[in-house]
Amino acid sequence: MEKKEKLWFALLIVIALTFNVVTLTPAIPWQKWLLWSHPSPDKSFTIDMEDNEIRLPKGGMQVNTGEFVEFIATSQDVTYGFGVFRTDGTMVFQMQVLPGRPNRFLWKFDTPGLYSIRSTEYSGPKHPQMFVKDAIQVKS
Amino acid sequence: MAQLGFQEKWTLRFAVVGLLFLGLAGLEGVLMRLDLINPEALAGLQRALNIIRPMGQDASSAEYFYATMTAHPIVGIYGFAYMCVMGAFYFLVPFLLNKEVRFKKLVPVNFFLQITGVLIAWASGFFLLFSGLYTLYWPLPVSFDRIPVVGSALFGFGLMLIEINVLLFAYNLFATVLRKSNPSPGYSTGRYLSEAFGISRLVRLFSKKGKTEDDLRYDELPVFVVAVGRGSIDTVINAVVLLSAGALLVIYAVPAFAAGLYLNPMAIDPLIYKNWFWWGLDMVADGNVLMYAAGTWYLLIPMLVNRKLYGESVVRTVILADLLVSLFVWSHHLMADQAQPVWLRLFSGQFITWGEFLTMGLTIFSVMMTIWLARPVKFSPALKFALGSVFSFAMGGAAGVFQANIGLNVVAHNTQLIIGPHAHTMLLGGLSMLLFAVIYALIPMLTKVEIANNRWVDFHLWGWLIGAFGMTSAMGWAGNLGMLRRTLYPDGDFGPYMLVAMFFALLLAIAFVSFVFNIIRSLGWKNVINLFIPARSKAS
Repeated sequence: MEKKEKLWFALLIVIALTFNVVTLTPAIPWQKWLLWSHPSPDKSFTIDMEDNEIRLPKGGMQVNTGEFVEFIATSQDVTYGFGVFRTDGTMVFQMQVLPGRPNRFLWKFDTPGLYSIRSTEYSGPKHPQMFVKDAIQVKS
Repeated sequence: MAQLGFQEKWTLRFAVVGLLFLGLAGLEGVLMRLDLINPEALAGLQRALNIIRPMGQDASSAEYFYATMTAHPIVGIYGFAYMCVMGAFYFLVPFLLNKEVRFKKLVPVNFFLQITGVLIAWASGFFLLFSGLYTLYWPLPVSFDRIPVVGSALFGFGLMLIEINVLLFAYNLFATVLRKSNPSPGYSTGRYLSEAFGISRLVRLFSKKGKTEDDLRYDELPVFVVAVGRGSIDTVINAVVLLSAGALLVIYAVPAFAAGLYLNPMAIDPLIYKNWFWWGLDMVADGNVLMYAAGTWYLLIPMLVNRKLYGESVVRTVILADLLVSLFVWSHHLMADQAQPVWLRLFSGQFITWGEFLTMGLTIFSVMMTIWLARPVKFSPALKFALGSVFSFAMGGAAGVFQANIGLNVVAHNTQLIIGPHAHTMLLGGLSMLLFAVIYALIPMLTKVEIANNRWVDFHLWGWLIGAFGMTSAMGWAGNLGMLRRTLYPDGDFGPYMLVAMFFALLLAIAFVSFVFNIIRSLGWKNVINLFIPARSKAS
């Protein structure tokens, strides 16, 4: 390996290491609890998906900012997605919902407001209909 | 135009059909983009097409949209890219090794079987509205409450044909390299595979023995052939896995259709299937594409700038690293699956995927240094497109590793960020521009005809590059705002972004048309048509 190649390779390694290390730290806020602290949830909601329908828990989903909320999504037939979106359409988080097993995701909302749920994985031609507006109410 | 030999003629036939498939894939892309701007935009067209459809008379816009989305990547990858790769490798590998193709009769078989397989898979979407998508996430493609059973069987059958054909192609390629006919000596299968996986090198390293005469002979294999050999290992794995997926569709769909017998889909665990499927599917996206692309750069660039490849001994090791990395990166497609063990998501999904940043980084450095040290260089059409592909692979690759991150994937997975700035930048900018470079380089080699109009070449270059990056940037921006991939928005949300993407997609289309006309003008209409007329018919 020539000197220039060694220098370039070293630069690539530095970039790779820096990016990977930084993104494993709380520089990405949710890494704090998803990867490191694993706190117990303050609240837990189960969402069932079947026949291209999203079935929310009876009584709805109300949470407070700063609470750790566990979403458990299940599917009775095919793979779906569970995505939470702000009122402006931007995504808060998402996960895949595989059939036959509980799919868990822990989240902490820091902004009060209404959040919608949309299936983020294709599950047949009725997939676009899998949207529940203002499904989660977050209070301060 | 020079008299074409057997191999030259078949190479051009593969290229012509490959380009037709690219046109079809592009048309499908434009139709889907129209749907995303306005979901009812194509209602009239679909009703008109129903005249030739045996089913789907009362289908929804979404059914047509997802059927198109299922066919689109099959046509683009197995129709366009694989056809072009088959044609190019069938010429280049024997040419570089100074041998003939081992089984010549397999060449036309590959040609027709690939076309048949792709058209069957396409027809399952177009005529029968199969909409299981290329991902075939289990058990969706056999969920016959929402996926047409006949379409599923036909798609599975088409996929099986394609993959059997790919295996035949890989077999012929390996057989050609290993062939012992004169004037080139052959290579034993075991020794070749040992070289491909770097085992011989490891043994030498630990035994501290010097290189034997045989070792030196293997070291002299053209670096392009080494890349093709290693990439083809991934090609074979991909074909075996996708063949198994196609077979599963047939196994589940045929009894359901023929006898009303519905097998239990949950007999196959969706998570294990998803791991198996993505392990195999990723052998294309993160395997053979990268190795074939690197190998083609290693061949083309030194040839075009008339200088030895910079750091050749290093890139041989890089190709080996590419192969090893490609075997373990599949989990970046399962980062959003909370059921997937976190260590797999982290190591396979993130850390090993970043190995590609290192291997592609070294590959690109080697290629760019070769050009830099060869200055002044003549920017031939092939070199311009090769540079465009280097730039696009760098950009698309960077977008890919950015998302192959356990933290960032939480907000990036399944958004337009993935399919735009990563996948389509790699495919339209990286892979397609490289295939255009190969076509621009091979046409004068095969036919002794120079490309007619260099202004059209430049228009093709900039139209394609700006079109690809404009389109993928608009998709990426929409993804940044929450637009999902694989989602048709009934109210046309994100319509303005899709309108911008459409503008650039049309620029891509115009650039493509200018390329096709320039090639036809260079070769002559008559010669292009003659390519497809058997010699006996012409004689009579």
